[in-house]
Amino acid sequence: MTLTREDFVGVMKNAVSGLGLGADAAMVTFPIELFLPGSDIASVEARKCEFYDGLTRWRSELADGGAADTSLVSVHGTTFEDAFIKANNVMLAHLWGDGLPLLPPTRERVEWILRGSALPRAHVLGTFPPRGGVAKVETCAIALAMAGGRPEYLPVLVAAVDAFLDPESGSEQLQAASGSAFPVVIVNGPIARQIRLNSGFGCLGPDPKHPAGASIGRALRLMQQNVGGARPGVGTMANYGGLRYTNVVFAEDEDNLPAGWTPHATERHSFAPGQNAISLAFTNGAANIRRRGAKKETPAEDALQGMHRMADFMRVPNLAGLAGYERGTPGILMMPGVVAQTMIDLGWTKRSMREFLWEHSRIPAQDLRRAGGPAWIEIDASPIVRKSIDLDPWPITASPDNFILIVAGGGHPTNSYWLQGYSPRVVGREIAVPDDFERLLQEAKRALEVR
Amino acid sequence: MITLEFHDPCGRLETKQPHAPRLDSLEGKRLAFVSNEQWQAYRMLPLLKGLLERDFAGIEVLPIDTFPQGNALIGSEETAALVKRSGVDGVIIGNAA
Repeated sequence: MTLTREDFVGVMKNAVSGLGLGADAAMVTFPIELFLPGSDIASVEARKCEFYDGLTRWRSELADGGAADTSLVSVHGTTFEDAFIKANNVMLAHLWGDGLPLLPPTRERVEWILRGSALPRAHVLGTFPPRGGVAKVETCAIALAMAGGRPEYLPVLVAAVDAFLDPESGSEQLQAASGSAFPVVIVNGPIARQIRLNSGFGCLGPDPKHPAGASIGRALRLMQQNVGGARPGVGTMANYGGLRYTNVVFAEDEDNLPAGWTPHATERHSFAPGQNAISLAFTNGAANIRRRGAKKETPAEDALQGMHRMADFMRVPNLAGLAGYERGTPGILMMPGVVAQTMIDLGWTKRSMREFLWEHSRIPAQDLRRAGGPAWIEIDASPIVRKSIDLDPWPITASPDNFILIVAGGGHPTNSYWLQGYSPRVVGREIAVPDDFERLLQEAKRALEVR
Repeated sequence: MITLEFHDPCGRLETKQPHAPRLDSLEGKRLAFVSNEQWQAYRMLPLLKGLLERDFAGIEVLPIDTFPQGNALIGSEETAALVKRSGVDGVIIGNAA
């Protein structure tokens, strides 16, 4: 049995069902005030019999200890508009939505989306933490249908879900944790262009010319919430839930990689260049960095100052990211192709850039102590992390190789972008497309291009 | 009349194992705590330990630090195996906040 905060009951039930038990547990719950420093804990004694009952008399309130299989829901309306609105109301009432309009995942729409799968609809990708809902290809198609997606997006979503469910991703903890982690999905390979995934101007935001990222990321978020149970304040304690409407799904700008630079999926996951693949990491922050200089800097000065400014953004006690200290990533640095090429022309290499960032983002030990950092480092499970406390200045990650450098964003030299890491590992997956994928692309071309 | 029929998006839940049976009483039993050492657990769990020892004859409550502590360790398979090997009759886990 557990001693639990009142608002944490949903998290506990998710955790229990995720272990394959009925979604119920013996709990004694208290308000948050009891768990704060200096609290009055007399109520623990006053309610001691509840603990005793939890060990001796508790019984699950679930009749069969489980929940029903996926089912169909019906709404009726006098017009299509009426039925559509009612369907959206029902989805919100069931807590399946995100506040934006949803397309009802009708059989017809889901069947259409499933044309994009290379796998059978019943293929099980895994159980979605923490709730433990079974994620099949069909479950992905339902979410993508709700999110306004198209069949040709499904291969990317299936690969992203498969990576998300890999225990190495850290999703089991990050789904419920308070740190507002959100998954970032980086796509490499020709599929990015084929399905209209953005790698250039506005690649992290909505773009009607490149709508795929919003639908895929929103579908993943809907699965996190509905299949995984990560409902704000109930199933996930994410204080702010940053960037959770669409997560982050974009493509690396492979057309503008400097000569000799390999695609991210090749460098990080050893996939062959040209292979369709995704790379998934959790992050919990996003910052735009003014990279270029303002006056009469020489090219070398401009590059060096920009590197310092990027390192300055990274030099923070991101203690929530310690899980990725050893083999994850401190974050994802995005820079436009024009910047990457300029840096190469000035003699920088990808390696020297990583080493510079690693060296110049180190935090002086006295600053780390002032911020209470050592206490978090001391209780970390990794001996590598615990040992790092001896380093002064303290490096924000164990190795320069952990920095992810991505060429993406519009062809303009002013800004770069930093997605702060919160991920024990970076997980890669190949993307499998169905045999008739070209036909789907042609259908999308006819549907989405103005004639 | 227009009817829209659509899928429940939540996915099936699979119940693979029953909850542990409850104890008939706490007298004479061996109990343990698994602590994440967070959220005032260092105060509340010793309080509960003392209450159990006072209220039930013959009860043995293992020291709070018998098993690995901290969020990173208490959920591991290794910790679960240690708890099983200890032969305790019941466990209180805290603090989930």
